[in-house]
Amino acid sequence: MPSDGPVIETRNLTKKYGSFVALDSLSIAVDKGQILGFIGPNGAGKTTTIKILVGLSRPTSGTATVAGIDCAKDARKIKRLLGYMPDTFGSYDNMRVGEYLDFFGAAYGLGRRDRVKRVDEVLETAGAGKFKDLFVESLSHGMKQRVAIARTLLHDPVALILDEPANGLDPQARIEMRGLLLDLAARGKTLIVTSHILPELARICDRCAIITRGKLRAYGTLAEIGRQLSQMRTIEVLLATDRELDRAVEVLRPHVEEKSELTAHPAEYAVRFRTAKPDEELAGALAALVGAKLPVTQFREVQTDLEEAFMTVARSDDDAGAKA
Amino acid sequence: MNPIIRRELLELLRTPKAIAAQIALAVACALLVLLRWPASGVSDLGGARSLQVLRVFGYGLLAGILFLVPAFPATSIVRERIKGTLALLLNSPMTPLSIYLGKLGGTLGFTAILLAVTVPAAAACYALGGSSTSGGVAWLYVVLGVATFQITTLALWISSRATSTDFALRTTYGCVLALALLPLAPYWALQGEASDLLDVAAWLRCLSPVPAVMEVLGHAAVGTHGLGDTGGAIGKFVVLALVFGLAFAWATVAQLRGRPLDRSRAAGVMTQDRSTGSQIFRRLFFLVDPQRRSASMPLFVNPVMLKEFRSRKFGRGHWTLRLIALSAILSLGLCTAAAEGAIGWGIEIIGGALVLLQTAILILFTPSLAAGLISTERENGSWQLLRMTPLSTGKILRGKLLSVVWPLLLLLCATLPGYVFLMTIKPELGPQVVRVVVSLGLTAVFAMLVSAAASCLFRTTAVATAAANLALVGLCIGTLLAVIARDAPFGKSTVEAILTVNPVAAALSAAETPGFKDYDLIPLNWYVVGGASAVLLLFVMVRTRRLSRPD
Repeated sequence: MPSDGPVIETRNLTKKYGSFVALDSLSIAVDKGQILGFIGPNGAGKTTTIKILVGLSRPTSGTATVAGIDCAKDARKIKRLLGYMPDTFGSYDNMRVGEYLDFFGAAYGLGRRDRVKRVDEVLETAGAGKFKDLFVESLSHGMKQRVAIARTLLHDPVALILDEPANGLDPQARIEMRGLLLDLAARGKTLIVTSHILPELARICDRCAIITRGKLRAYGTLAEIGRQLSQMRTIEVLLATDRELDRAVEVLRPHVEEKSELTAHPAEYAVRFRTAKPDEELAGALAALVGAKLPVTQFREVQTDLEEAFMTVARSDDDAGAKA
Repeated sequence: MNPIIRRELLELLRTPKAIAAQIALAVACALLVLLRWPASGVSDLGGARSLQVLRVFGYGLLAGILFLVPAFPATSIVRERIKGTLALLLNSPMTPLSIYLGKLGGTLGFTAILLAVTVPAAAACYALGGSSTSGGVAWLYVVLGVATFQITTLALWISSRATSTDFALRTTYGCVLALALLPLAPYWALQGEASDLLDVAAWLRCLSPVPAVMEVLGHAAVGTHGLGDTGGAIGKFVVLALVFGLAFAWATVAQLRGRPLDRSRAAGVMTQDRSTGSQIFRRLFFLVDPQRRSASMPLFVNPVMLKEFRSRKFGRGHWTLRLIALSAILSLGLCTAAAEGAIGWGIEIIGGALVLLQTAILILFTPSLAAGLISTERENGSWQLLRMTPLSTGKILRGKLLSVVWPLLLLLCATLPGYVFLMTIKPELGPQVVRVVVSLGLTAVFAMLVSAAASCLFRTTAVATAAANLALVGLCIGTLLAVIARDAPFGKSTVEAILTVNPVAAALSAAETPGFKDYDLIPLNWYVVGGASAVLLLFVMVRTRRLSRPD
């Protein structure tokens, strides 16, 4: 495995089913210890990408590599490098959790002694140690998610691909799952996580990829995505009191675009506006506020919200679809 | 109209498979009649020929109902529960009774349509004359209709209590076969004796549809001895089967009215966590202790094979051992009985009974063991996980097939003491026994590969099991019906040619069972069955490789 460079990388990855293009020139890269949030509406091409990465599907063109190994040409090697948790659990009847994990450990070729130790370790890591003697089919959804995570960790893969790991979990389990994923990243595992619970994803991801109709629409950190999606930034001015809000709006008016809407939020002592002006011009706006002796406590850019970014992409995709 | 009937019957009828099934059945019945239709102006006034056709036809339909009907109701409720749609149905304004009637109506409706397709052929037999033995063709349909009701209600009850589709299927097939055969045993043992129990046994016997169909087809006296009264089986069966069916219908509705989804599976106390006394007791009296923490899988054993043993309810070690023990006891019991002269049978009849016992077990249990090998994995989403492991397709397939081979091999070995006993009584039987054992071995391999092929071909275990049963029953039991039609319409050479493809016929012929003694089927039958098995194995390998390849 190369010591530097991305652990997971796709270059111009394309998958066609007849004339239908499921994936169109997707290029992403995830470094060691990073978590990539992979989001998109249903049918966007997320599962197709994941299936190519885990060796269950072949790309029509382009390449996908894990630790430098081609996913299509060396699917067997890939299986040892990746841990994959699909959105379905895949249980076997009449098997206890310990037996279930022991089987997958044996399937991955772990030695008998190592396996016994490893099963206990991964159950502990996933917070599922007390489920070992329970029948798999009797587990609740949240318990199954934990066992599924334990299963993906059994062979100590370098990268994990988790399809909807937080789906159906209660708030406490979701928080615990979040901690678990961050812990795995801290241990040097590279993760690709898909989820529809965007605030949850925003909290753990180093990078995000938004995909619609098989095309990558936005990719990078949340701030980068915000800039990619819109030239407009949201600026927030906080005052020490709500009495001066109207005067602050008046002072800011000449410094923003005509179309831009300046809104006062008395409950938060805040004024917000959206603008495409560069930092130098915004510095002039701040100077004007200070010059007018307004009690400014903060003048800052509001971070783009992942939900907002996703909705922007989805809306532009709908518009493009309608035009087509 | 009940929306469940609309979904389960009308939508099924629109599928090409349903249309193909109806056409195939109609064509098969028409061919059967055409074979016997008088070619010249001479008609068979006695009606013997039409009765022969009706017999082949009637037993074929009964076998079809016993082996095909259970597959669909057996998975009907349990599949809804697994998919989560049972919760939606129970939460809808539909009552448990209407849900049940919908399920029952769907299965009965489709079976009724299939039976209706065969009516013109049966009517032709009636028109040829001679088929009014016990009320005519109409009674055949009444009996088959009631049998369908009886089997469907039993299967739906099992389905309402089962937690997995393959458990429901295996249990249902086991119960249906027990229902068809076990009630015959007490009457068969007691007949000819002046005993009060005989009346009870005569009623009990009529719980099975077999005596009623035999009476309709003029075979009421077949297999009887002494002065037993075998009449009235049809009426008794109709009454008993309706009572039986209604009881199971009530039990299923009660189950649906209760809380069918409110159940958890307790892990129980693990043996290792029990007291020392309890651990010693369990070690002494349990062949395989299901509560003992399993040891880690050894690396030299195929993990897929061990997984199959651990995850199957029926095929788990303790059940397999019980079945094998039962087979060994039955096998030895039959031989001991013959040896002591308690039963005035010959060695050939004992040998035939042994072959039939093994064949029944093989034909019944092999599809239950092998038809879900791949389809169950695909149905519950674990096939994707298996594909993700570094296990090669060959290793997966080997493990799956070995998990069927071992129980079948042990089953075959369980009856070997019986054959050894026969050889001790009559040493010259040695070569004959070897031929029987080889034929039975081939039957087992063939049944396993047919079932495995169905498992690769179909996505759901219910359809795969039904298809495997259809193929095996058609080939191993359907072709045996040709023996009934020997000399009319088929000649000996035709019957022999038909039986050449049947491994069971070869085993019966090798055992020199009465009725099969005259046919010279070995070694041609071995080549045919061996060749077919090789082709099936190749198909299974190619198909499994294709299923595990990247899309």
